Amino acid sequence: MVSHDAPRWVRRLSADLDEPPEVIGGKAHGLVVLHRLGLPVPAGFVVTTAACRAFLRDGRLPDGLRDELAAATLPPVVSVRSGAAVSMPGMMDTVLNLRPAPDALEDALKAVFSSWNTPRARTYRTLNGIPHDLGTAVVVQQMVFGDRDERSGSGVAFSRDPNTGENVPSGEVLFGQQGDAVVSGRSLTLPLEALAEREPLVWRALRDAFGRIEEHYRDACYVEFTFESGVLWLLQVRRGRFGGAAAVRVATDLADEGAIEREEALLRVSAQHLAHVRTPRIAPGAEVLARGLGVCPGVAAGRVALTADAAVRMAADEPVVLVRPETSPEDIRGLAAATGIVTARGGPASHAAVVARSMGKPAVVGVTDLVVGAHSVSVRGHEVGAGAVIGLDGTGGEVVLGTPRVVTGAADAHLGRLLEWADQVSGDRSERDEAARLEAAHAVLHRR
Amino acid sequence: MSHDLLVLHALRCVGAAGLARVASFTGLSEAEVESELIDLAVAGLVTHHREFGGWALTASGKAADLERTTAELDAAGTRRELAEAFDQFLVLNPELLDLCTAWQIRSTDGTVNDHGDATYDARVLGLFEDFHGRAVKVIAALSTALPRFARYEDRLAQALGRARAGELGYVADEIGSFHAVWAELHEDLLATLGIQRW
Repeated sequence: MVSHDAPRWVRRLSADLDEPPEVIGGKAHGLVVLHRLGLPVPAGFVVTTAACRAFLRDGRLPDGLRDELAAATLPPVVSVRSGAAVSMPGMMDTVLNLRPAPDALEDALKAVFSSWNTPRARTYRTLNGIPHDLGTAVVVQQMVFGDRDERSGSGVAFSRDPNTGENVPSGEVLFGQQGDAVVSGRSLTLPLEALAEREPLVWRALRDAFGRIEEHYRDACYVEFTFESGVLWLLQVRRGRFGGAAAVRVATDLADEGAIEREEALLRVSAQHLAHVRTPRIAPGAEVLARGLGVCPGVAAGRVALTADAAVRMAADEPVVLVRPETSPEDIRGLAAATGIVTARGGPASHAAVVARSMGKPAVVGVTDLVVGAHSVSVRGHEVGAGAVIGLDGTGGEVVLGTPRVVTGAADAHLGRLLEWADQVSGDRSERDEAARLEAAHAVLHRR
Repeated sequence: MSHDLLVLHALRCVGAAGLARVASFTGLSEAEVESELIDLAVAGLVTHHREFGGWALTASGKAADLERTTAELDAAGTRRELAEAFDQFLVLNPELLDLCTAWQIRSTDGTVNDHGDATYDARVLGLFEDFHGRAVKVIAALSTALPRFARYEDRLAQALGRARAGELGYVADEIGSFHAVWAELHEDLLATLGIQRW
């Protein structure tokens, strides 16, 4: 007798799938949203968190999973990605370009399930208050190839600028390569605008997708995408989660656009966002020489020093910015002498970032297109000699030539408007600091 | 490892440094370190920088360090074992950097950790302890290949002990902090195995 029981461990990704992130994971949940919006998502299915928990408990894949996998229609090449209910970026395994013979697929599932429990993943969960017994779901999808031809590529993009909140798409794209090359930071990415020039149809499809996704979330969003021979595919979506001034701007703009009420805009901004708005930033309009990741907030400007020795020597006379490929212990005294640091490599948890924060020095790391030579640095054909003055913004990650003009959020027009709405809600127009004005409005709104 | 090579190699791993830092790296007294440095300077392998009061390798000092540490590892015949233990180190390295970051920036809300919340600090320090338990095993594997690596375990344990006793700078700020010692260990492994930073 043929059994028609509902599948226990596997769910096909489709607009009809109606299960929470706790069951199918956050990544699959986002893909279902994309399906419902009629956006292009590679065909696939998700193996539930329950299957992961059973595997971690019993040390083997649960009974019935093999049959369900065999029954699933599988494309010739698949990707196998983790996706827990709560985001744990970069902590778990991913298997790309898998040709799914039954054993190969099961091995990939076991590898991804097991990566839930690496010591680093456990530490991350303890730090972030995520329970250890949730397990991860696994998304198995048809591979789309960013490296198929010269009309293919991969990228990551925000629907609005995550640094300023301005309503322009912002991100990075890499032609002729798969998505892992974008995220690893080892390849030279181009700004997202390059897509408009080289693949206008993909660009238009992406803009259209942003419109629909924003309408759904009523918020800025982030996507990971691949385009294959000129056709766009979306691989992941989530809300934007902007900080500081960008959070303030997105909330006020969305209210002005009619996407959300003013009350909702107020609730989306926290006192902590306001504290970040006050951090000095490079004034808008500066010509940006290079971009990396801001990992210690503040603006620094000074003469370029290319070694720790030079930084110590030059800092006796005037401010210095230490520019290094990456940092080693040798660079600590150079950074101690410098007012800020720029590195070509590294992320928010790199040695350079940890040291910069320990000294409270503005820092930009992971400027992937920066090449540090013996006497100069070059960025996309621009040559900047040792001793030239540069500035950096440790919040937004911008590096500029010369000493930049600096602004703080107190002058921000969007913040002014938002606080005006806050006073209307609270009815209190007395002289108070910004956080108090916002919190008074929050108190009224929470009582409603 | 002989004392003069130990001192030479300290400058290779920590960069230019004063007597106290070299003494802490090597476990020698400052007087012993100074005497070795003077001999090394006579041999043209190190120089004393008067402006910042520290000692640094010369180009020939760097070459001599490479030659002598390579000879040391070849004589021990444990290059494969050391490389395998280095792979274990590389698994731990991102976790340690995650922990240092959480020590500086509260993972719960993304704000700078002003160390006003003892509960948060205790939680992160507890994770450092747990991490240290695993680091001990990797350092044991490293020191089976080359005994001088055992010194890092003393230094990490000391940093953690001071942090636990309330000297919070010994997590990620001070010269002898857990993070600084770990970074020196990383540099030492790259130097000893002859691996270029990419």
